[in-house]
Amino acid sequence: MALGIIENLIQRLTSLPGIGRKTAQRLAFYILAMPDGEAKSIAEAINDVKDKARFCSVCFNITESDTCSICSDMERDRKKICVVEEPSNILVIERTGFKGIYHVLLGALSPIDRITPEKLKIEELLSRIRTDSAEEVIIATNPNTKGEMTAQYLKEALAPLGITVSRIAYGLPMGSDIEFADEVTLKKSFEGRRNI
Amino acid sequence: MLRRTEGIVLKTFPLGEADLIVSFLTPDHGLISAFAKSPRKTKSRFGSSLEPFTYSNISFWGKEDSKLPRLTQADIIEPFQELREDIATFTAASEAALFTLRLLAEGEANKKAFYLLRGVLRMMLRPSDRSFVIVLYKIRLLDIAGYSPSLKGCARCGKTGYGFYTPDGSIICDSCIGGAATRGLRGATPHHIRLSPGCVKLYESLRTWDMEKVFRIKPSLGMMKELQSLLGAHVEYLHPEKR
Repeated sequence: MALGIIENLIQRLTSLPGIGRKTAQRLAFYILAMPDGEAKSIAEAINDVKDKARFCSVCFNITESDTCSICSDMERDRKKICVVEEPSNILVIERTGFKGIYHVLLGALSPIDRITPEKLKIEELLSRIRTDSAEEVIIATNPNTKGEMTAQYLKEALAPLGITVSRIAYGLPMGSDIEFADEVTLKKSFEGRRNI
Repeated sequence: MLRRTEGIVLKTFPLGEADLIVSFLTPDHGLISAFAKSPRKTKSRFGSSLEPFTYSNISFWGKEDSKLPRLTQADIIEPFQELREDIATFTAASEAALFTLRLLAEGEANKKAFYLLRGVLRMMLRPSDRSFVIVLYKIRLLDIAGYSPSLKGCARCGKTGYGFYTPDGSIICDSCIGGAATRGLRGATPHHIRLSPGCVKLYESLRTWDMEKVFRIKPSLGMMKELQSLLGAHVEYLHPEKR
């Protein structure tokens, strides 16, 4: 019977991304050996996320209330909207000291995966810009094909609104070596060079 | 064992934190899926080599019958970056990639299919009618894969006919289709598409003409639509799309 419970936990854990049977087995036995309180707090944290987490009604960031802490913060620069693919991108950009507000698309365009503009929060972005006083949209989608396609689509969709649309810079990562860069990355960094 | 070949990226599928499963079309191993460790990280050695349609020299490690070998290297030969800079071109190239994934089997070497795809991607870099290039690609790939519809007269009696019967993948004339429809061949719902003689002729020309000369053909919009619906019905019957 006890093995049935363990087996059930192993099966549940394997449904998580990147966790195979062996890892799930290791995690299950680790959870079994954990102090009661610690193990239960994990279960409670999962319950809390599922019960309370929702998308912000303004920017589609993850929040516990109707609007997220960034959208409710009146100190932030509301003239700059940074557009990202996923809520997790906001955490990274926040570390840069960016003080504007965000808009999460909840994905990126991908014809091969049948992800069309209607499946993203693009219309919500447009209506938000029409009603708010935003002056600049910074497109911070990933520098890959899907992110690029999304940025191009946004550029065209935002053009009639007459606001500044910018794209985060491309190029070589800090601390890397030119010798190991591929030609597409290097070409992009040459195209995006600036005076110093 | 370590294997080396050339490959064109058709599709990528994110796995775990920063890994990818990459589908390549290669001349020596046909369609293969390989596991790439951490290409989504900023300092990954793969750089942009795993972006869709990139043509590279690739090396992968795994047993000969391994379902998911590990990608160890990808050095770009042709980045096909221009295909990814315009939404319409990218959508057209994606259609070619999806069609390839749908039609070809994994692990079966197919040099002709590889060179056809590479040629078509190069064609898309030049100013050309994208929908024409895609139809041409589909017709040629069906031919290479051995799935070409049979359009040379009725497959049952040999008489001239223009009704395409999807369960047979061939023309079935009106007198033969009566029997086929009532018998419900292979248990499938009979699906008979009426083709124009011009469409049949155009299909054969696109299938057989030399690639250099084929662009002299300027089909009408109506003819292209007819051809597209024939291809759509034929392929949907052969390999129903997973939704």
